[in-house]
Amino acid sequence: MTLAHRALFTWFIVLVFLILLCLRLDPRTTWNWFVTFTPLWFFDCILIIYVIIKFIRKWRNLNRLTDLLFHYKWSIGGVLLTITSQVMICMTLEYPQQIPIYVTMAPLVLLLSTAIFYVGNTLYQREGLIGWLH
Amino acid sequence: MFKLSELVRWLGLTEFEILVNLCGLLVFTITLAFKISGTLNYVFPELMSDWFSIFSPLFFVDICNAYFCVIVGIRMYLDADNKRKVLHRFMWSTYFLVLIAIFKYLLCLKLSGKMGLEYSEVFSPIFVLLQLVAVRACQLPNS
Repeated sequence: MTLAHRALFTWFIVLVFLILLCLRLDPRTTWNWFVTFTPLWFFDCILIIYVIIKFIRKWRNLNRLTDLLFHYKWSIGGVLLTITSQVMICMTLEYPQQIPIYVTMAPLVLLLSTAIFYVGNTLYQREGLIGWLH
Repeated sequence: MFKLSELVRWLGLTEFEILVNLCGLLVFTITLAFKISGTLNYVFPELMSDWFSIFSPLFFVDICNAYFCVIVGIRMYLDADNKRKVLHRFMWSTYFLVLIAIFKYLLCLKLSGKMGLEYSEVFSPIFVLLQLVAVRACQLPNS
């Protein structure tokens, strides 16, 4: 898939999710929160398939599984944390007062921290500390 | 699904802006958790009761990004030969920041109960932004 196709696909998923979210937040529907998050579950499935395909394509060149896991550590970590965050948010919204909010927010905080580290590391490697500040 | 460089090309944000937004989101997530749990309600009762103070990290990030965009815009405008391209980039950053800021402001008002808007109206700036993002996606090279 080209970048334009992937971008439009992601855009469509976000659009459908936002429409469902608006319908659910306004007192028009009383859907289950897991149903409201359906577009995101679908996107996660596509994401997992995408990572597995990348994994298999790389498998030809690398013999050891640990090398492969290390090579795709950001992708695997990102996907797992995203899915965990979504599940925790859905469970908290569906069953309020039963799950402590800190438990709900923990995967999200971890995901954001990982993303900050990844982006910061990419910037640091490319620009250096001086380039960052200019 | 996307590399960082691809996201930069699609969304028209620099890596630095993405980093600042992520930092703001992280702080906002933590303050939101405190607000919902009510842990700090006795320590900072006024601060925790106001939704605008909970959203303040996100507003602060918007101000930082606006400052960054203005500085970068002026420097690029003075240095660049193609002034039109620079203006185009500056306008895109302005649209993005303004629409996101309006959304956050409306959401704050809605959560505070100061305005009787529906959520579909609160989300309207995001829908406008999504249309602009879709146009940008269509303009991406097919490679």
